[in-house]
Amino acid sequence: MTHLSVSGVCARYGRKQVLFDVTLPDLEDGHFIGILGPNGSGKSTLIRCLSRELSCQGSIVLDGVSLASQSSRALWEKVATMPQSPPAPSALFPMELLWSICRALGMALSDRALSQRIEEVLALLGLDDQALAPLSTLSGGQRQRVGLALCLIRDPDLLLLDEPTAALDLHWRLTVLELIRRRLAHRGGVVIANLHEVDLAARYCDGVVVLGHGKVVAAGPPAEVLTKEVFARVYHVEAELHPGTDNRPSLELIRPLSSQHRPKHDSDPSGS
Amino acid sequence: MVSLEIRHGRLLRQRWLIIAALAGATLLCLVLDLLAGPADLTLRQVMRGVFDPASLDPRDQIILWQVRLPDALIALAVGAALGLAGVESQTILDNPLASPFTLGVSSAAVLGASVALVLSPALPFMGQAAILPVTALLFALGSGGLILAAIRVLGGERDTVILFGIAILFLCNALTAALFYVADAEATQQIVFWTIGNLTKAGWVEVVIVTACFFAVLPFSLRHVWLLTLLRGGEAQARSSGINVDRLRTLVILRTSILAAFAVCFVGTIAFVGLVGPHIARLLLGEDHRTLIPGAALCGALILSGASVLSKTLIPGVIIPVGILTAAVGVPALMALLVLQRRRP
Repeated sequence: MTHLSVSGVCARYGRKQVLFDVTLPDLEDGHFIGILGPNGSGKSTLIRCLSRELSCQGSIVLDGVSLASQSSRALWEKVATMPQSPPAPSALFPMELLWSICRALGMALSDRALSQRIEEVLALLGLDDQALAPLSTLSGGQRQRVGLALCLIRDPDLLLLDEPTAALDLHWRLTVLELIRRRLAHRGGVVIANLHEVDLAARYCDGVVVLGHGKVVAAGPPAEVLTKEVFARVYHVEAELHPGTDNRPSLELIRPLSSQHRPKHDSDPSGS
Repeated sequence: MVSLEIRHGRLLRQRWLIIAALAGATLLCLVLDLLAGPADLTLRQVMRGVFDPASLDPRDQIILWQVRLPDALIALAVGAALGLAGVESQTILDNPLASPFTLGVSSAAVLGASVALVLSPALPFMGQAAILPVTALLFALGSGGLILAAIRVLGGERDTVILFGIAILFLCNALTAALFYVADAEATQQIVFWTIGNLTKAGWVEVVIVTACFFAVLPFSLRHVWLLTLLRGGEAQARSSGINVDRLRTLVILRTSILAAFAVCFVGTIAFVGLVGPHIARLLLGEDHRTLIPGAALCGALILSGASVLSKTLIPGVIIPVGILTAAVGVPALMALLVLQRRRP
């Protein structure tokens, strides 16, 4: 049973502090949390802290063990991260990329078992025909799915996704998020995903955390967190929210708010 | 539908066959290199002489064992070392223009050779003949050491490493120019001759040293094949997969500096092989470093061995410095492969 607790996370790039005392709700097995917020709000930095790619202050505890004290091997057996940028468009094949990550991380699988697992994961993401095609011939969306395959092949307990649907078409956005939900229901674990599609977060996530200027603005179930006020304050847009199915809000975006209509208390804690 | 396992297996077999073909071509070039030269040795004499030196008359024995074999084998060793160093440099710096010399190793070797030729320093326990290669080696290793020190102080970001390497390159070029300014005509000519690259000064000691260096480094390169392949998917993917890219970069730069330093210190700076050998290997074998690393080493060896054959046969009775001819062998091969790749459906 996976359990993740994140509290008081602060991070900086050089002298500029970008995360201020970020605390997430305790995440239990099967939870899918969406991190929302405008550009530069600290979403990617939070993912980099959670994956230990960026050193930070605060407490990140996975299954009772601090992430900071875990050995690299133990960490990468449990945690997989999908970065914002998809795999580079090189002459490498998706099959080779997946194969090399499994071997580089020392996964104990025979060549046959590994081939079958790669085939399964690529098929799940609609990439069976591209398995032996150079990454340079794949579209941005296909490469983004290869990036997700790189995480899924490792079967991690904690899956950290930085804008996993940004380059995908409508069909694959829904397919990928449904795949994540099905995986959670089937094998458990915790998923944290940075998302810009607020409507998809409302539809698929168990909870959302809204970041603004590196601080948690709101956190909780989508129906409670996604309010008109939050949209005005964080995204500077006017939005209407209607009750949808399963008590999940349905979003209607009206227009961007001009500077004089923005809420006055929206200040940048970093002073920049 | 054929399973992915079978299709991938077929692809791998195809690539190992290409490597076997490259090894065969390299062996053929080695034999041609042993046959080439002013003394008319037949294929039969060369083959017999290699396996049974006593069967040759003393003159032919000296030609084969003291001249042709060391020249031909140093071409293979230096070419393989430059090909291996080149492919690792290009991958770790994610730069198709990278070569073993991008980080200033060759310029530092030229500076070292120039110091030896112009200032004639005396080194302890060393004869006059050894001073030039040893000075070139020390300067080349020194430039690699400076890069590693910079990584330690400034961090291992790719752009920082390239910029620092280019700074070393220009510094060494400037210091060499200063030595040119004070050098007499004979020393200047010797420096120019050394910078072109020449295999004919190598003996068995040099062959053994460069070969030993290549085979000492190769296992460490092969140990990193998965990490280097993963890196071709982009640095962001590798970092987020938990790979310590900065540490890997440090180790690869250490390896490439050692390989390039030992490769150039005896035969001068042989340009182009470390740049084009890996590109030809990538075109033939793709990006999986399991096959790319041995392929790039073989391509480097093949280009330099081919250039060595040309250097002895183009003008009868004259040995052209091999560094002039590496482009003559490598460019047509690269062009042909690029054209073939474009035509492929």
